[in-house]
Amino acid sequence: MSEAAGDAAGGITVEGVARSFGDVQAVRDASFSVAPGHVAGLIGPNGAGKTTLLLMLATLLVPDAGSIRVGGHDPVTEPREVRARIGWMPDALGSWPTLSVRDALVTNGRMYGMTTDAAAARAEELIELVDLAPLADRPTRVLSRGQKQRLSLARALVHDPAVLLLDEPASGLDPAARAALRELVRRLAGEGKTILVSSHVLSELEEMADAAVYLAGGVTAAADAVERAGRSTRQWRVRSLDSERLGAALGAAGFGEVARTDNLGAIVPLTSEADAAQLLAHLVGVGVPVSSFAPAVGDLEHVFLDLNRAGPPAATAADPAAPIPTAPDDTDSEPAPDPRGRTAASDPAGPDEGEARA
Amino acid sequence: MNGFLRGMWLIVTLDLKQRVRGVAWYALLGVFVLLVTIVTALLVLATNAWDAGGGGVFSTIVFFVLLLGTLVSPALSGNAINGERDAGTLATTQVTLITTPQLVVGKWIAAWLTALAFLAASLPFLVFAVALGHVSAATIAISTLVLAAELGVVAAIGVGVSGVLTRPLFSVTVTYLVVAALSIGTLIAFGLGGAAVQSTVRQTVVEVDWSQLDEQGEFAGEGPVPCAPPRVDTLQVPRFDYVWGFLAANPYVVVADAAPGSFDRFGNPRDLFGWIATGVRGAQHAPDLAPRIDQCTNFDSATGWAPTDFESPQEIYDRSVPSWFVGLTIHALLGAGALLWAVRRTEVPARRLPTGSRVA
Repeated sequence: MSEAAGDAAGGITVEGVARSFGDVQAVRDASFSVAPGHVAGLIGPNGAGKTTLLLMLATLLVPDAGSIRVGGHDPVTEPREVRARIGWMPDALGSWPTLSVRDALVTNGRMYGMTTDAAAARAEELIELVDLAPLADRPTRVLSRGQKQRLSLARALVHDPAVLLLDEPASGLDPAARAALRELVRRLAGEGKTILVSSHVLSELEEMADAAVYLAGGVTAAADAVERAGRSTRQWRVRSLDSERLGAALGAAGFGEVARTDNLGAIVPLTSEADAAQLLAHLVGVGVPVSSFAPAVGDLEHVFLDLNRAGPPAATAADPAAPIPTAPDDTDSEPAPDPRGRTAASDPAGPDEGEARA
Repeated sequence: MNGFLRGMWLIVTLDLKQRVRGVAWYALLGVFVLLVTIVTALLVLATNAWDAGGGGVFSTIVFFVLLLGTLVSPALSGNAINGERDAGTLATTQVTLITTPQLVVGKWIAAWLTALAFLAASLPFLVFAVALGHVSAATIAISTLVLAAELGVVAAIGVGVSGVLTRPLFSVTVTYLVVAALSIGTLIAFGLGGAAVQSTVRQTVVEVDWSQLDEQGEFAGEGPVPCAPPRVDTLQVPRFDYVWGFLAANPYVVVADAAPGSFDRFGNPRDLFGWIATGVRGAQHAPDLAPRIDQCTNFDSATGWAPTDFESPQEIYDRSVPSWFVGLTIHALLGAGALLWAVRRTEVPARRLPTGSRVA
């Protein structure tokens, strides 16, 4: 069923989409696209319209305006084509309470027209994949929240869809399951699937997404606003084996006023990566034993917070030609877990965002 | 079409699997069987069934199944769709290749089959009633089929309302109200409607001229008994013939009226179906607005009263039109309409959502 993946018609394209419920304008003007093989994070505060947007992509809601293509088809006029190609993991956790995990997955497979045998085989694979084997024959109502979340993910994958729409997939998962989810999402993207992940846990998205769609007040941020936000002053965390010398060196370098020191080291506001490189060179040069020098918050979080601080972006200037800051596919788009911890592994979006900031 | 049936049947089995695995449903069936046992035992004692045959027992059990079916079915079907929406499993079904008609029809069939389980559980008692004798094969077949159809109508209304209204509690209540409107409301409408529309009857009464009779009540002279001059009384009578149509929509009347009439040699019905059908059919006839009651011409001085010619129930039954198919058609349209409405309201992608509801 993944024949649409990888070809030019695949992926997700959203242009000027709006949707209201009564007088509540949930989505005002959303435009973005995600190409096959990519994982895009859908980022926004609570109530930004993330779930509404995903419901429209999942053929459940008709947009009031704008156009949507998912896997090369229009969810409004060809819902059946789209449904065959999408796997949707909702934010609400629902499962047939008295069915066993295995029965639930088999039933779901058969809802996509699989034969009972094929559905049973697929269910077995997915139970292994999401690590629910010990619970396969228990009724789904006994599952914990995280286990239900994994069942929901398995359900979304049952027909091997080319496009995955994941709404808060990691909420309720333990760290090991989160790591497994991250790996799975990256692997599926590597297989050429298009994946849109919504979350407000940005560190989590940081680790699996290679592109981002910022949504605030129902409007996707225009590319230039994202770029501006990425360029703004951000906090860098510096750790040293000798915090007194670090404090002294920072003071001597003119950061005494703005730097905050705490028991973890110092937080220094810097406007660009060039400044950061300069400061690091200086600190090392004056003999401060620097053990860690990294942005205090991840890229996504930095842009997100900055955009939110500026208020919801204006809907008018959205440029449909460059709707999102899609990460270029070059060198290290693989977010290899960095042993130094998550603040250091901050740049899954690709190295040239650094140029944009500089 | 084959694809439609396949997907629909998947929903049916999914729904039934979930019900059957609950303990509550078996408990309900157990209570039902217990009640039917008690009712059957009491009926056998009350109707002298060993001699008179099982018609009364059979018909009463059928009504009892209809009563319990219509009491239980709304609770089982009235949250079929909005309950799933609340549980978060509706949208995950709707993003699959299952279509909305498959979903709604599948849920209806499942609810119907659940209600039919009550009929199946009462089967031993029905067989027992038939074994008592005097129950025709036509009565067995038709009343059972019509009963099954009526249970299907209630299931359709329940599933339909659950697709139209968003709150499960509200939709179950509305389903009960619809069932009550059909079962009791039609009776009230019939009674009040008939009483409200009254006609004046001017009846002419010819009595014996008692003053010319002796103390034993016998006429001393020759020839026929002398009659008093005709007296005209006016009185008001309810016009049930205008409102009998209400009763046609009553499910109990539909079942009773559909069963072929079964009468003994005096023209009296052998079962409850016959009595109800006769009563309803009798209401079709307009009252005689200017009757002449002659108690004199055929006066029999030996008995002291004039024999009058009463119509037997069988005669009334035979000269009236059956109404059950009208009622059944109304019910079928009601059920189909509810299902159609539910399909329209549940269809995704959704354009308009009822206020306060979510797709998922």
